[in-house]
Amino acid sequence: MPYRILIIEDDITIQTELRTLLTGNHYDVSAVTDFSETIQQITEQKPHLILLDIKLPQESGFSLCSKIRSFSDVPIIFVTSCSTDMDELNSIMLGGDAFITKPYHTAILLAKIASLLKKNYPQSEREVLECNGAVLHLESGKLEYRSLQTELTRTELKILYYLFQHAGSICARADLVEYLWDNQLYVDDNTLSVNINRIREKLSAIGLNDFIRTKHRQGYMLWS
Amino acid sequence: MELKTYWKQSLPLLCVHIVCMAALAVFLLLSGNSADSVAFILSIWAVILTAYLCKAYYSRKIYLEKLLELTRQLEERYLISEIMEKPDRIDDQIYYQILKMAGKSMLEQIASVKCERIEYKEYIEQWIHEIKTPITAMKLICENHRPEMPKTLTKELLLELERTNRFTEQALYYARSEHTEKDYSVREIRLFDVVHQAIAENKHLLLNYNVRIDVQETEATVYSDEKWLCFILNQMIVNAVKYRSEEPQLRFFAAQSGGNMILNIADNGIGIVESELPRIFEKGFTGKNGRNASQNATGIGLYLCRRLCDKLGIGITVTSSDHHTVFQLCFPIDDFIREVQG
Repeated sequence: MPYRILIIEDDITIQTELRTLLTGNHYDVSAVTDFSETIQQITEQKPHLILLDIKLPQESGFSLCSKIRSFSDVPIIFVTSCSTDMDELNSIMLGGDAFITKPYHTAILLAKIASLLKKNYPQSEREVLECNGAVLHLESGKLEYRSLQTELTRTELKILYYLFQHAGSICARADLVEYLWDNQLYVDDNTLSVNINRIREKLSAIGLNDFIRTKHRQGYMLWS
Repeated sequence: MELKTYWKQSLPLLCVHIVCMAALAVFLLLSGNSADSVAFILSIWAVILTAYLCKAYYSRKIYLEKLLELTRQLEERYLISEIMEKPDRIDDQIYYQILKMAGKSMLEQIASVKCERIEYKEYIEQWIHEIKTPITAMKLICENHRPEMPKTLTKELLLELERTNRFTEQALYYARSEHTEKDYSVREIRLFDVVHQAIAENKHLLLNYNVRIDVQETEATVYSDEKWLCFILNQMIVNAVKYRSEEPQLRFFAAQSGGNMILNIADNGIGIVESELPRIFEKGFTGKNGRNASQNATGIGLYLCRRLCDKLGIGITVTSSDHHTVFQLCFPIDDFIREVQG
């Protein structure tokens, strides 16, 4: 079941785009449209997480936050363009869980959302990804295929994670590089090739040949 | 007050006395007094007059010097009329009144200018917060519609958006660097978290120019303001890209030296001419490379960095040759804070 996220943001464009972004990342998204009934909407929908702007019509995000805190512990991320320390302090004092200033990096926003959800709704299942019998263990950083295992470096793990998530479609090299940069791995085009080759060696060592395919001039793709 | 000018000023009085003395002498001689007694009277007169003038000179001198000294000691000298005693002499009182009136009108002027400045600063800050909403919207649109839009187009747009954001940030920090008291909070931060944040904010720029990034990460922490520090690092990254060489490279590494934690930002760019090094932090200074038409440097970036560093107590130094530049940010490690916190 996907997590429900409620967007409380009065700028229509940002609201729509946030909805697109979050829906694209497999969340169930709804947005407040009538700001006079915000609280009611929250109690009805019971979201798993709230994205809250500070400057809102009718009522400021701060007062909304303290109201929400009176009946719920739902994680709240303040998303705002006010970047003074007073605002940040206020948001934390009133029970906000995170504070992100505009213009935010979508990668950072998504990471914050994911980590807050993980912290607040712990799940017992171990995080694994699977594709054609190959299993990627995220916690231990290992790849398993027919009971054979190989250890991966952090960069290799992130590359494989991205490819597993986009299994069946072509991943452009530039997108892959950008994804790695978002994860603080500053890899350039050459280093990416080196890493891919190393992954391929490790894969064939455990009997996975031709798992990652190169699409000429386009990028990489997982065999699916 | 000089003796010479004082005598010059007393010249009319002296003349009057001399004329009077002469008249008296003539009168006394004509009425049959001996020349000796006339000389005696005149010399007594002269002594009394000289004594009076000297006394007047010294008391005046002491009074005026006290006033001057008082003014010198004042930090806000225009407030002297509020502090000085009300003078006794009639003409001094007039000047005193004039001084008070002038001071008051100037204070009013200053207050209204200050008020205007604060209003303007608030407007700028508000404007910057508002402009960030459309910037965010544009960024989201670009990232959400990547598949439908041509690759190069989104890339260019994101690059320009990053630039727009940088300029707005610069305006914000410029406005803030004037009145900083309330706008920063110093706390313990992980140095390399800020480095990663600054790199993330310039991701598209760095990727576009194929800059190789080398972060030698440590767990070092410093006491500083995260946002300000990030802004400072942003400026250095942008400069490194602006004045890059063929195969640009940017290294971040920290080292502890004495009581300081030093963050090094090293690039392999075209460097800064040695004669220009002392001046690069000056406002409006654009060096030989900066004046290059394609760069159109404004001379604001590094100036702001230095101002913010000064406020945060960070030392900023630079070394350069024709194939590298190293900026060093020097954070004092406060033993006191560490001991208090245990």
